[in-house]
Amino acid sequence: MTGITLAVPSKGRLEELTREWFAARGLTISRPGGARSYLGVMEGEPDVTVRFFPASEIARELIRGNIDIGVTGRDLIHETSETGPEAVHFARALEFGHADVVIAVPEAWIDVTHLHDLADVASDFRSRHKRWLRIATKYITITRQHFARAGIAEYRIVESLGATEAAPASGVADIVVDITSTGSTLAANGLRVLEDGVMLKSEANLIVSRTADWPEDKKRKLNSLLTQLAAEPL
Amino acid sequence: MTNAAMRRAQLEALVEAQGGCRATPPLLLPADPYFDLAGEEFGRRLLLTSDLTGAEHCLRPEFTLPIVRDYIADGTRQPAAFTYLGPIFRQRENGPAEFDQAGIELLAQPDGEVALDQVFTFARAALSIYGLPARIRLGGVGLFEALLVQADMPAAWRPRIRHRFGHTEAMERLLNRLEAAPSAPRQEQPARDVLIEDVTARMVSTGLSLSEGRTPEEIADRYLEQQALDAAHVPAQTLKLLRDYLAISGDVLSALRQIEALAENHKLMLGAPIRAIRRHLDKFGEAQVSFDAGFSPRLDYYTGIVFEMTGRKGEVLASGGQYDRLLERLGATAPIAASGCALWVDRLEAEVSA
Repeated sequence: MTGITLAVPSKGRLEELTREWFAARGLTISRPGGARSYLGVMEGEPDVTVRFFPASEIARELIRGNIDIGVTGRDLIHETSETGPEAVHFARALEFGHADVVIAVPEAWIDVTHLHDLADVASDFRSRHKRWLRIATKYITITRQHFARAGIAEYRIVESLGATEAAPASGVADIVVDITSTGSTLAANGLRVLEDGVMLKSEANLIVSRTADWPEDKKRKLNSLLTQLAAEPL
Repeated sequence: MTNAAMRRAQLEALVEAQGGCRATPPLLLPADPYFDLAGEEFGRRLLLTSDLTGAEHCLRPEFTLPIVRDYIADGTRQPAAFTYLGPIFRQRENGPAEFDQAGIELLAQPDGEVALDQVFTFARAALSIYGLPARIRLGGVGLFEALLVQADMPAAWRPRIRHRFGHTEAMERLLNRLEAAPSAPRQEQPARDVLIEDVTARMVSTGLSLSEGRTPEEIADRYLEQQALDAAHVPAQTLKLLRDYLAISGDVLSALRQIEALAENHKLMLGAPIRAIRRHLDKFGEAQVSFDAGFSPRLDYYTGIVFEMTGRKGEVLASGGQYDRLLERLGATAPIAASGCALWVDRLEAEVSA
């Protein structure tokens, strides 16, 4: 098998932008089976099989090596597994899908502006409130890694799969770790990003799996494709 | 019998010979107590699963917690000794998630120092089964706490510094921040009741409960304290003391002499915790012993003396110490002395074949 599998987001704005991005570089992706088909083709590149996947599955399959290259957000690679970033090669940023993973606290917490304030609050939270400081997020891996580096251990994560910004008001959690491009949703919910609260700057990336099989001729094909896309070869 | 099987049998015998009760906690344990005790940082190492009700369980990640919980539930408060040897499960970067650990727990012993000696002897005996020289690294939690209590600084900084003990980078960042503290003239402080009113208004307008989490009073007080702290500098001399102290690392005798000299310079009374460390040294014989002033597990229930025994490449083969605050954290109503250690059996065996 020397064909290359390329996975692209299967729906929404991300799908559109991805296809536009490839088209602008002379590579048209079409979906012969229509929008409900999960298989596509890249015109003029018979060796490339295009598959449409949800963005988070693209991250997982790249890390596992089940697909060769894919387009997905950097944040999802970091979140899917602690060793995710080592399992892939970020060939190039695609200049869309910009978003930051940030730590935000209630605006009313006027005493907490930096991570070191949060460390202080977390460390005596339990003795004051008989429970741990709770953080609502869907970014469990990124949060744990970042907080470990910051020396904060006294907290509990509450997994939140949607409307994370509402967690403090609904009493589910005290603070949030969420993704934001402008911060306006957070602000509208009375949350403020810490001054050093950006944990990860993310955007859509063209990503190569390092764990996939790369025999010589397949790698050659990949690198010529990457060169055509002005991306860094493997 | 192969050599490896022989060593394993000898380790079994050592574990049995401690005169304690052999503990065999279940493989499947509730996960919550681990998160409660050690937070997310340890939590991410757990192998988790959930049952039909959605309750989270984990595969036994260590032995101490279930042993100590059972002991507390028993309610005897009598001196007790437990040993164990069996598989534990943790997510690791290197090596399989299932591996064996052996260890000892000495609870409510009449003399905590004698108990720690027994722990040291146990760990060294285990290393000698594998023909390994003991390279021992000691840390002084009690010593650092004694120094911190006496060091000249605004009281509110002490818990903040204590909290970062054992995390080199976080401590470094805090000391840098304290050194760089601005000496700009302070603005007039708002009155406490004005602040509380302001915070309350913000909380109400964003739909936050005033009682479920941090209260307006707590936030206002910490805000004022923070402002006061920014002005209340830690004296430069104290910062230098902390830096000089934390940098001390090396052969135990010379390290302790350096600490004594430091204590004398700064007029600190550290005699008792230093003597407590010295008292254990005769037990180490020929072993190579170092003291690392900044070394501590990142768990606040450790007290007194902590240690690691390391292999050729610095891997931890045994680790433990005194943790007199653990039983209280797990629900005991009074402080109970505790000490113990855990041995990484697969690493011991790997040292032999290396």
